[in-house]
Amino acid sequence: MQRSCLILFRSLTYAQRGRLVLERSGITATVRKAPAAVTDRGCAYGLKLRTDRLSQALTALRSAGADHGRVFEYQSDGTLREVRA
Amino acid sequence: MIYLDSAATSYLKPRNVERAMIAALHHMTSPGRGGHSLAMNAADAVYRCRAEAAELFHMKEPERVIFTMNATHSLNIAIRSLVKPGDPVVISGYEHNAVTRPLHAIGAKLRVARSPLFCPEALLEEVQRLLPGAKAMVCTHVSNVFGYVLPIQEIARLCRAEGVPLIVDASQSAGVLEVDASKWGAAFVAMPGHKGLLGPQGTGLLLCGMDGAPLLFGGTGSQSKLQEMPAELPDRHEAGTHNMPGISGLAAGIEYLLPRRAQVERRERALLAELVTLLKRNPDLELFYDEKIESQAGVLSLRCRSMDAETLAQKLSERGVAVRAGLHCAPLAHETVGTLQTGTVRLSLSPFNTTRELEAAVNILKGVLR
Repeated sequence: MQRSCLILFRSLTYAQRGRLVLERSGITATVRKAPAAVTDRGCAYGLKLRTDRLSQALTALRSAGADHGRVFEYQSDGTLREVRA
Repeated sequence: MIYLDSAATSYLKPRNVERAMIAALHHMTSPGRGGHSLAMNAADAVYRCRAEAAELFHMKEPERVIFTMNATHSLNIAIRSLVKPGDPVVISGYEHNAVTRPLHAIGAKLRVARSPLFCPEALLEEVQRLLPGAKAMVCTHVSNVFGYVLPIQEIARLCRAEGVPLIVDASQSAGVLEVDASKWGAAFVAMPGHKGLLGPQGTGLLLCGMDGAPLLFGGTGSQSKLQEMPAELPDRHEAGTHNMPGISGLAAGIEYLLPRRAQVERRERALLAELVTLLKRNPDLELFYDEKIESQAGVLSLRCRSMDAETLAQKLSERGVAVRAGLHCAPLAHETVGTLQTGTVRLSLSPFNTTRELEAAVNILKGVLR
């Protein structure tokens, strides 16, 4: 089964900007509301994408100066586990 | 109706503006408030409009484009961010009440750079003289009364050299003239969505060169556990639910303009030249225009020697010509030019006006004056 991950952003707009950066790099990502368990300040958005594209995605975001927050991987039970980005 | 009041609100708009607004009512709710498809549709539309505005105004970061209710709202955010009671602030002699009233309410000490109409050299000399020690400069790009294009690029250069933050009121220029927020290095550029950007009423933009202080406080759909407003743009300045039909219509207006902005500028200037040619030989009229076409955008003020401004505008309205008369919410501009007692009749153009309309309007005007 394809594994997925979630990259958090400071706001919805930053997540949308990040999605555009990834699109330009040929990486498909969808904007998602982040589960409360992984947000420190409440109500945050992230980009969901395939884990096997994560490394490429983080490089693309860094190159474009698109700041992001913590990165999580979806577990089989639906929970999220932080991964070192 | 022959509509010559686009400096107040553009009435003639691309058809997609209405379509986009209706689509928003059917397919969008609130951006940033949910993860369902209606909320995400709204989020996509908001971001698209932000990105397109950033492209039109040469902003590298779409998140620095803020949605507001109108230019007045944008100017209030900008002015409140920079000006404290007693601060010396430089303004041109052509500012709108949307600039002077917030400054008056704060209790700023105004330094007015007065200069004759269509005389940019004199204005620059005054600005240079008044800038040292100022906390901010607020300057319109185009006078809403006289269409005078102020030398904003040079003013921006003087402000940068003096380290004075600049707020530009681009109410009459956005969508028509080149507005390059990056090149100007302005702290803020404020504009409405419903004039040259061809969007609906109730929309405005604020381009942020700096973060600024929030004017409204409330929900943003982000960082909800915090009682302070988020530090990040655009959330910092966008408390409350967005005007989705408005923003969608504004996006359609900007999409229309993106490949055509320079064409719109040429078109409005050509129409203005035609209008001046049609009117200038009438001895009953005093026109405020400049021979140099680049000095004036698509706005022409006039006074009639035999009739007051309001009466003339009313008679034109009764005959199907929409213009505006009076002080146009800019008493300072009238004071500068010497028209405060009489006001003016203002004819303002849109890229959708035609030569035939101008000829018809001028014939009606002549008929009224006969």
